[in-house]
Amino acid sequence: MKLVFKILIVVSVFSLLGACSIQPYQSVDQIQATQSSDFSMLPNWYHPDLGLQLLGDNEYPEQTALASLLQKADRAFLLNELQSCQILLERAQRISTRDPGVYVRLSYLSWLDGNIDKAEQMARRAYALVASDKYANKEVKRLLTAIQANKY
Amino acid sequence: MKKVIDSKFKRYLGWFFKLSLVGVVVLAVLMAYLDAKVRDKFEGKRWALPAKVFARPMELYSGLALNPKYLVQELEQIGYRRVPSVQTPGQYMIDGNEMDIYRRYVRLYDGEEHAARIHLRFDNNTISGLWIDGAPSDIARLEPLLIGGIYPKHNEDRQLIKLEDAPKLLIDALVAVEDRDFYNHWGISLKGIARAFMVNVQQGGLVQGGSTLTQQLVKNFFLTRERSIQRKAVEALMAILVELHYDKDEILETYLNEVYLGQSGRRAIHGFGLASQFYFGKHIRNLNAPEMATLVGMVKGPSVYNPKRRPDNALARRNVVLNVMQDQALITPYEYQVWSKRELDVVEYSQYQRIEYPAFLDLVRRQLRSDYKEQDLTSEGLRIYTSLNPIIQRSAEQAVKKRLDNIERDYKLEKNGLQGAMVVASTESGEVEALVGDRNPRYFGFNRALDANRSIGSLAKPAVYLTALRDSRYHFISPIDDAPIKVAGANGDVWEPENYDHESHGIVPLYQAMARSLNQATARLGLQVGLSNVLKTLKDLGVDRELPAYPSIVLGAFELSPFEVAQMYQTIAASGFQTPLKAIRAVSTAEGELLSRYGFNVNQSIKTEPAYLIQKAMQQVVKIGTGRFLNSQFDQSLNLAGKTGTSDSQRDSWFTGFSGDKLAVVWVGRDDNQTMPITGAGGALRIWAHTFKDLPLKPLYPLPSENIVEHWVNVNGNAITDESCEGAQLMPFIKGQEPLQKTDCSQPETIEKPWWSRIFNQ
Repeated sequence: MKLVFKILIVVSVFSLLGACSIQPYQSVDQIQATQSSDFSMLPNWYHPDLGLQLLGDNEYPEQTALASLLQKADRAFLLNELQSCQILLERAQRISTRDPGVYVRLSYLSWLDGNIDKAEQMARRAYALVASDKYANKEVKRLLTAIQANKY
Repeated sequence: MKKVIDSKFKRYLGWFFKLSLVGVVVLAVLMAYLDAKVRDKFEGKRWALPAKVFARPMELYSGLALNPKYLVQELEQIGYRRVPSVQTPGQYMIDGNEMDIYRRYVRLYDGEEHAARIHLRFDNNTISGLWIDGAPSDIARLEPLLIGGIYPKHNEDRQLIKLEDAPKLLIDALVAVEDRDFYNHWGISLKGIARAFMVNVQQGGLVQGGSTLTQQLVKNFFLTRERSIQRKAVEALMAILVELHYDKDEILETYLNEVYLGQSGRRAIHGFGLASQFYFGKHIRNLNAPEMATLVGMVKGPSVYNPKRRPDNALARRNVVLNVMQDQALITPYEYQVWSKRELDVVEYSQYQRIEYPAFLDLVRRQLRSDYKEQDLTSEGLRIYTSLNPIIQRSAEQAVKKRLDNIERDYKLEKNGLQGAMVVASTESGEVEALVGDRNPRYFGFNRALDANRSIGSLAKPAVYLTALRDSRYHFISPIDDAPIKVAGANGDVWEPENYDHESHGIVPLYQAMARSLNQATARLGLQVGLSNVLKTLKDLGVDRELPAYPSIVLGAFELSPFEVAQMYQTIAASGFQTPLKAIRAVSTAEGELLSRYGFNVNQSIKTEPAYLIQKAMQQVVKIGTGRFLNSQFDQSLNLAGKTGTSDSQRDSWFTGFSGDKLAVVWVGRDDNQTMPITGAGGALRIWAHTFKDLPLKPLYPLPSENIVEHWVNVNGNAITDESCEGAQLMPFIKGQEPLQKTDCSQPETIEKPWWSRIFNQ
């Protein structure tokens, strides 16, 4: 009986390790679906300057270094390359330290990563940067409220 | 008689046989030992590879404010050559306000940048156009400057190469000069030994070795530099063992990576891979024949034939090598004629002949300590990507040195008695971009930026005023009484602060009290808002130390390092969002695999409204207060903010200032804590100004929120007034924290004492 129990434990541990080590292939649609599901608790919104990375329909009105990096970051996000996305956003932040769109995206990324506190802080940062834009202000506030509402 | 001789002979023979047997056994044991040693070294990890530390890669994009001279400075530092027309990677050219850079391939932790021609157009020290390989582009990156390494104790540095990386001509030249029988012998060359023996006999001492390449390798790998018969014998035995186990290509490849080829400060340059970068700024594949000859010539004596330090010797030696190459038909007589007339062409700067940044590297090392073992850092060839900006670093180093020299000259102080430190960081990302820990920036020793705990004096004041602005009882122009104040301590001591000018200034508006750095007003305010609240604000700003709740802390009678001060002011400069200061972006393996990343983190510890007001107050310091020297040095549209600090008896001179993108903290003082004839404005402030004088800064616009309103006020009357009134000023307030009184133009400016001052005056 003890032996059977031990075997069962060993098999379970190996199954768990095996499951963790395999990165299942996901199509872009699947990834978007997963992300959409993860984001279902956050408001779905769009702002012409800040963009909305989730659906990949962002507009980049100007061809600038910032727009180029945001575009690449959004593409990486859609491909579920979240680390690349984060690195590109941090490059964008160094170039344009006060672009609220960067912090909104970082907030979403942190949310997806399960780091709710960080998501809130990034949203707060974005919020502090959009004071003069009433529409953006309202949108970021909705994001912040949603994060805070789901925090506890 | 014959019998006796026979018997003796037999006895000797017996002894000889026994001794021989013992000798053979000893030799066998020795061989076994040496064999194990050889195999252990060759089959294990042959070299401890130090971690390489890189500065930030420079980003180029349209709209970037960049003086071309700084770009050239960086290109030269990373080993690019200026040419009339770019042809190969590693070159650049300037044509009026246009620049062509042939970027080298570079692998970074977040991807690759391919070799490409980058064309830039400049207008007014700003990039106005960018093309990559002829096509308009948005952004380009250059390879980062190698700024140092984390070395094992022996300080060996090398860049490993494979045999196929080395040009055939280099190998042929090396073999021709150092060991012509290399492909034929078994580790030792009898011909070589005989030749060396003859020379040594003629000279009456050991002046020449007959060492093969294998013996040289064995000597470098396993043995000392001692010249003795025993060491030579062991070397020969080991060389034979190496040849028994490994083929010629493997031995040669190891030799190419092992050989010592000079010194750069503490760092020993090993191997042809690193040497070609260090002396010529090129990958070994791209060396030309004279450059190969120079390096091969150095093997005989890396110090004597060092092309940077002894160019005449190196040139003569190179030509000897070229001559040997000609004799061996490796090059033609014509090539010899042409190449032997060439200059050495060593690069003045190269990425691998780097300037060391000991203070910054110290910070990198400390920040890595929690994640990596020292042994991994010194042996695994890790690549550490940091945020150092070499342009700012250089400017900061020069500013510190120049100002300290000038102060010592002007005040006739002993030379090198003053010391300085500086921390420059990005306000938003918290990345440390420059760090100076000593007036001699190449000094490896006490790092004042991190370890000098000094009284911060008036740099504590913004924490007091911020505490007041977080308190609904106060606003931007609240009247504060700058009158004498006495506070009795528990042990009977009386604390009685004075102003710098030994005068009291009566009632002053809050922002002016800070701008003018008034001690009595600040002491009074600090006690009014409560010491525990001031301590809480300091904590919220990022001061981790436990500080005692003494009244004098409001005037900065506590110690912090410049780095801690920078952390404190980063929170203010980023509108209340605290980001831990960091020097590292990422760490990857030698092969480029990302190991760890140190991403952006932020925590709002101060509300944006009081942060907005304290930034405004600090702008007043620069506009009308103790930091106004900056106003005369910088474009006023930058709206710089700052705070001077001078500790008791002028033992410490501080300044912290920030623009929209950069924060810098400067400290000047003496290691023996003696007094100085300068204040914060006379010492540290000037260094700040000198550092940023020619560097692009972004203007500072404090972040307004919907809760910030502006009113026309009668500043001294602590009242809202009409815009048209004489002396009316537009001032910011938090909604609900505004002056209660209103006054019209007919009423004279009044100064009403607040209720609390009556209590504290008693």
